[in-house]
Amino acid sequence: MSGDQPPYSWTEAEKDLMEGIDTTVPHSARIWNYWLGGKDNYPVDREAGEQFVKVYPGIIAEARANRQFLTRAIHYLVNEADIDQFLDIGTGLPTVDNTHEVSQRLNPASRIVYVDNDPLVLAHARALLTSTPEGATDYVDADLREPDKILNAAARTLDFSMPIALMLSGIMGHVADDEGPHAIVRQLVDRLPSGSYLMLQDGTVVSQENADALEDYNESGAVPYHLRTPEQIAGFFDGLELVEPGVVPIQIWRPDVTPTDPKDHVNTFGGIGLKR
Amino acid sequence: MNAGGTAGGPVDDIRTSLAGPAVVRMLLGARMRRLREASGITCADAGYAIRGSHSKISRMELGRTGFKRRDVADLLTLYGVNDCVQRDGLFSLVDQANAPGWLHEYGDVLSNSAETRLQLEQCASVIRCYENQFIPELLQTADYARALIELYHPATPRPEIARRIALLTRRQMVLREPASCRLWAIIDEAALRRRPGTAATMRRQLRQLIEISELPHVTIQVMPFSTGVAAGGAITVLRFAETEIADVVYLDQFTGALYLTKPDDVQHYAQVVDRLCTRAGLPAKTAAFLRQLIQEI
Repeated sequence: MSGDQPPYSWTEAEKDLMEGIDTTVPHSARIWNYWLGGKDNYPVDREAGEQFVKVYPGIIAEARANRQFLTRAIHYLVNEADIDQFLDIGTGLPTVDNTHEVSQRLNPASRIVYVDNDPLVLAHARALLTSTPEGATDYVDADLREPDKILNAAARTLDFSMPIALMLSGIMGHVADDEGPHAIVRQLVDRLPSGSYLMLQDGTVVSQENADALEDYNESGAVPYHLRTPEQIAGFFDGLELVEPGVVPIQIWRPDVTPTDPKDHVNTFGGIGLKR
Repeated sequence: MNAGGTAGGPVDDIRTSLAGPAVVRMLLGARMRRLREASGITCADAGYAIRGSHSKISRMELGRTGFKRRDVADLLTLYGVNDCVQRDGLFSLVDQANAPGWLHEYGDVLSNSAETRLQLEQCASVIRCYENQFIPELLQTADYARALIELYHPATPRPEIARRIALLTRRQMVLREPASCRLWAIIDEAALRRRPGTAATMRRQLRQLIEISELPHVTIQVMPFSTGVAAGGAITVLRFAETEIADVVYLDQFTGALYLTKPDDVQHYAQVVDRLCTRAGLPAKTAAFLRQLIQEI
């Protein structure tokens, strides 16, 4: 009954098959999945994820806080800002409380476009992040550095004459300074109609342990992640009207009752801005 | 996903009691293992305490064998678990793990290993499968399934065929609304073109596939010949909502199904399925592909 040996001999076809996904370098979406307790990660990701935790144990709490902030932000956007359209760039592997699940629970007619540039993430998203019958979900294969491609593809599903929430969760760090991260966000926000929102959160340089852990990570062959100062994170909201309490450590952005450990309230900064 | 986690929750939440105890055993085993490890006791010492071997403990912890209430009580005492509520919670799992589920009623058409496999299938939260020979069982019409039986097991008596079809129909209830699981199937073009029954049977089968593929909790991807991509044989990866229970892989064999739980084996097949799904056609293109095939019949 137990499998001592895989029972099939694999053919040439398998070699071709093996080219699609690189299992030899860690992958940010799969490491994130590991930190969140998911089951869609490979040995190389668990190893890199564990190594990271050794240097910066706070990353587990931070990963959870990131998801909780996302949920609170969507509650605010749906319940208080009447938003029913979301453009979520950097989807990551499905976990619990994905953007469309939270928003469609509050308003089943919500429409969500997920954008990612990773084939594995996209395949999982297309299969598992499916909409209610009343709403819609769509999936766009594009890189954050191609804002026009993203916006044009999103227009298949979202009505650009009505307010849209642009969601950038832990993704801007993948864009290096010389690639113009602030200009990319500006370009995306410019095309959104008045009354739209930007929700953004990203890791900062505040925690030295996190910075140290990331240094090893960036040398592992994974797509590197660039930390910014809280002021640089706030700079992504230039020209927008910040929703109270502004750009802050995500744990203290309109926290709900679940208490979190104040010593963790340092490293990921985020907020919501309104485009007037 | 929307099945929700039942980890650590009340035992009534486990959707497994209906089908059979395999997943309850795995959950109970995982919890017993955690308690043993927390107390720093070896498998051998634990085995000694219940008059068994270390391998009995490891089989129990993998959920591959039954649990006696007395053994669990002795082990919990050995592990220093004296809290009544915690002990009662685990005893209740023991009772569930010893209760036969509805699949037991089909014992006449099921081997023991097939029953375990179906118990696991029936309580999965996500079923991912790759099929290159036939339509996945959970998606087969009764006529198509009957045609397969008649083709491969021509001596099967009529009443047994009827029982097998009844069992298949009962299993397919997991996909009925409100569905308890998600099905994510990758079907090779060969399986869609191969015609075990009449042309009419195949047309109805493909039409049913189109209908099912429109359900929100079912995703069907076609692997067209044009991709050149194939794997050696059918693969099913079962995912459970309970965080303590790792994925299980099963593979159909000529002499019954093989199910794999060793992390390395499971990992290998999960990666193969990950690669297959990135190479297969988009789910949104499936219906058009199937309509084209129907026209060609």
